[in-house]
Amino acid sequence: MEYILTIVVLIAIFVILSSSYNLVIGYGGLATVAHPIFYALGAYTSALLGIHFGLPAAICVLAGALVAVVASILLALSALRVAGDYLLIASLGFQLGLLQVIKNFEFTGGPGGISAIPNTITGPWRTPAYLLICGGIAALTVWLIARIVHGPYGRAITAMRDEELAFSALGRNAMTIKVVVFAIGCGIAGIAGGLYAFYFQYVSPDQFEVLHSAAMLTMVVLGGMGTTMGPVVGAVVLIAIPQAITFLNLPPAVMAPMQGIIFTTLVMLFLFLRPAGLVGPLSRDRMAGRTALEKSSGGVAE
Amino acid sequence: MTDPIVLLQIFWTGAATSSILVLLTVAFSLTQKVTGLWNFAQAGFMGIAFYAMFYVLNDLQMPLLVALAAGAVCAASASVLTEVFGLDVLRARKSGSLMFFIFTLILAQFIIYVLTLLFGTEPQTLYKSIMSPVRIIGGIAISNWDLQAVTTAVVMVTLLFLFLKATKEGQFLVAVSDNAKLAELYGISAKRTYRVTAAIAGLFICAAMYLSGTRGGVTPNSPFELVLAATIATLLGGMGRVFAGALAAVVLALIQSFSVLVISSRWQNLLLYGFLFVTITLFPRGITLARLKFKAAASPPVSVGKPADVTQAS
Amino acid sequence: MTVVLRVHKLRKAFGGIVVADDVNIEIAKGEILGLIGPNGAGKTSLFNLVSGVLKPDTGHIYLNGVRIDGLPLYRRARSGIARTWQNMMLFTTMTVMENLLIAPRSYPGESIFKVTLARDRVRRAEREARLRATQILDRVGLAHAADAMVTDLPFGHQKLIGLSRALMNDGELLLLDEPMAGVEGAAYETMQRVVRQEADAGRAVCVVEHNVSFIKDLCTRAVFMSNGRILQAGTVDELLASKALTDLYFGV
Repeated sequence: MEYILTIVVLIAIFVILSSSYNLVIGYGGLATVAHPIFYALGAYTSALLGIHFGLPAAICVLAGALVAVVASILLALSALRVAGDYLLIASLGFQLGLLQVIKNFEFTGGPGGISAIPNTITGPWRTPAYLLICGGIAALTVWLIARIVHGPYGRAITAMRDEELAFSALGRNAMTIKVVVFAIGCGIAGIAGGLYAFYFQYVSPDQFEVLHSAAMLTMVVLGGMGTTMGPVVGAVVLIAIPQAITFLNLPPAVMAPMQGIIFTTLVMLFLFLRPAGLVGPLSRDRMAGRTALEKSSGGVAE
Repeated sequence: MTDPIVLLQIFWTGAATSSILVLLTVAFSLTQKVTGLWNFAQAGFMGIAFYAMFYVLNDLQMPLLVALAAGAVCAASASVLTEVFGLDVLRARKSGSLMFFIFTLILAQFIIYVLTLLFGTEPQTLYKSIMSPVRIIGGIAISNWDLQAVTTAVVMVTLLFLFLKATKEGQFLVAVSDNAKLAELYGISAKRTYRVTAAIAGLFICAAMYLSGTRGGVTPNSPFELVLAATIATLLGGMGRVFAGALAAVVLALIQSFSVLVISSRWQNLLLYGFLFVTITLFPRGITLARLKFKAAASPPVSVGKPADVTQAS
Repeated sequence: MTVVLRVHKLRKAFGGIVVADDVNIEIAKGEILGLIGPNGAGKTSLFNLVSGVLKPDTGHIYLNGVRIDGLPLYRRARSGIARTWQNMMLFTTMTVMENLLIAPRSYPGESIFKVTLARDRVRRAEREARLRATQILDRVGLAHAADAMVTDLPFGHQKLIGLSRALMNDGELLLLDEPMAGVEGAAYETMQRVVRQEADAGRAVCVVEHNVSFIKDLCTRAVFMSNGRILQAGTVDELLASKALTDLYFGV
């Protein structure tokens, strides 16, 4: 039972991650692969603050989010200056470089990571309490993002993604919108990191490798990019299914790669068979997502 | 002061070792130049090439030539099949750059999981012993492996250069990379060109993995580090400049070797990423010095959606 | 007569291709200036230079006497330039109404803080914008299509939406890039009527158009461009009377 609850907590954390990632790539149209590193920044910041300063968990988590926001603004400001798909490459470099730094510094625990993060909730109700907190924050995230993208601000984001030049020529600063969307998305990822650190009481660089951005991306795509509920569905499916085979009692040397194979096969199947995702009929939301994915890097024609 | 002989030794060994990265960078950068894609699936092809050779040499006990042929065929066909059944489908759907990114990365990961399941995570070498006879020339130790590596890299890069310069197929490649649409108007099939490129990349990858597997242990995960290093070299050389990328690979390897003198080996990897950082923020189009030097060899990078396109109207 | 736009000795070249060469133009309040010339003459480039898509190599641009050539695209739009595009560039995943609602030059609903903190103000602005958008759609005869996706409209109507969006943007200077290309019938009449009304209401308008009769009907003055240079300026009739120009234009 405890095991299943833990999986549910993990799902809630990934709902936060995939929803915020969806805000950035699905709605904002910003092709980044650095989402795991902002998750890592949140996790490491709150873990270190918790261990060394004994601050309350909530403050640590918020500080982690703040660090993620600041870092994301730095990345956005430098990478978005160059047109085209450059953000993709710049974010890849940012992700790889920063993780390498984390792996090498003493105070981040090197490749072994940080353990003994203070336990904030004790007793038999620990996991259910975390489930409530993480689930609540996940629901809040989904709601908040829906609020942002369905109001006038969302309209601006959509217009910016559709035709950036025409949007700018209406007197809007596209750069500001991009940076804001990017920072909000990455800040939320930072919160997810903080939750992870305090629940599992252990963080290591392996959990934030660039491959995880492919996993998050898949959750978004599988559910339906540019839809509110898509990333939620995606996170549930992609975490639950590979976990299911843990009940088969395979030896660990077979288990890990098997889970990986199941995961990657799922991703490729969905990529080719249902590129528009699981959620909803061909709604406007989904069309929006599709354009975001299918829009090539070609600039302004004619 | 460090002994000049030591410096020379570091230079030689660094240069010889860089052959692996040079070959991989050429494969990666050529693919990027022609197809415009950052094909991370090449990490998977590296794994396929290595384990194909490993299997033929160790389990089947066949001679080296058969192993090399098997590695080359497997890597090249994996590369071409990915092109035909994966990338072409995505292209036909006009998928965005993120789709290609997920696909290539996930495919690489998939291949690596399968290889892990088949061969385990233990480091393997192609031969039981990787000792290579050494001769001393002018005070520097030069091993057979070093010579083999440098020769392979030089010969293959030269062949590619001649192929691009002198053959019709090579000219097609350059034409497609400059402007695929225009090339199609002149009757060059972009699809076919992409497949030729994929096959060439497979051959380079196989050569690199042979060198890598005769020098040290390879695990299913090592291709990831290799493909990332190739990415960095490609960026440093500047997108679309294959031979500048190869040069960047040599420079990177040399800097890493020499850095042993100044910083602890723990930070060596970080150095690589430090370069990546600086390149990305300061030289988004690659280092310009290399551009001047290699102008003749490689055509200028294909720019992505720059506002200048607007002027074509009216 | 108040001069709204003044372009002074503008020059822009891409490598060997000169798209603007010593271009001087003035447009006054209430005036409709026609810009004609063969393809590749630099007409759209001139629009791009004025609206800020391109940066000029040398020369100055003044809007209402204020120099704007150093400003980025969005700041120029805010200072009062509204434009349409040859290929329309509508927001394709949005409805007609949304395309218009996005257009006002300043909009409180697009600040993340105001959306969350000043909800009332946002709601009021939204209501006002909706009202204005409906009025504009009424004028172009597309009020019934407000909730349709822009991509579902026929081509001529999409052109009208492009114009409506520019009107919603409400600049003192209106740049229309080939408004009539591919437009016929009722949409043609509407386009002509609305542009005329806007000029009468005091807007300065500049039109790039190949349809000579459209230019002739609307413009008092026109400019003939070729290879980035202004060859001649005058009334439309004067320009069309010049054999050298018509030969150049019709490619004889």
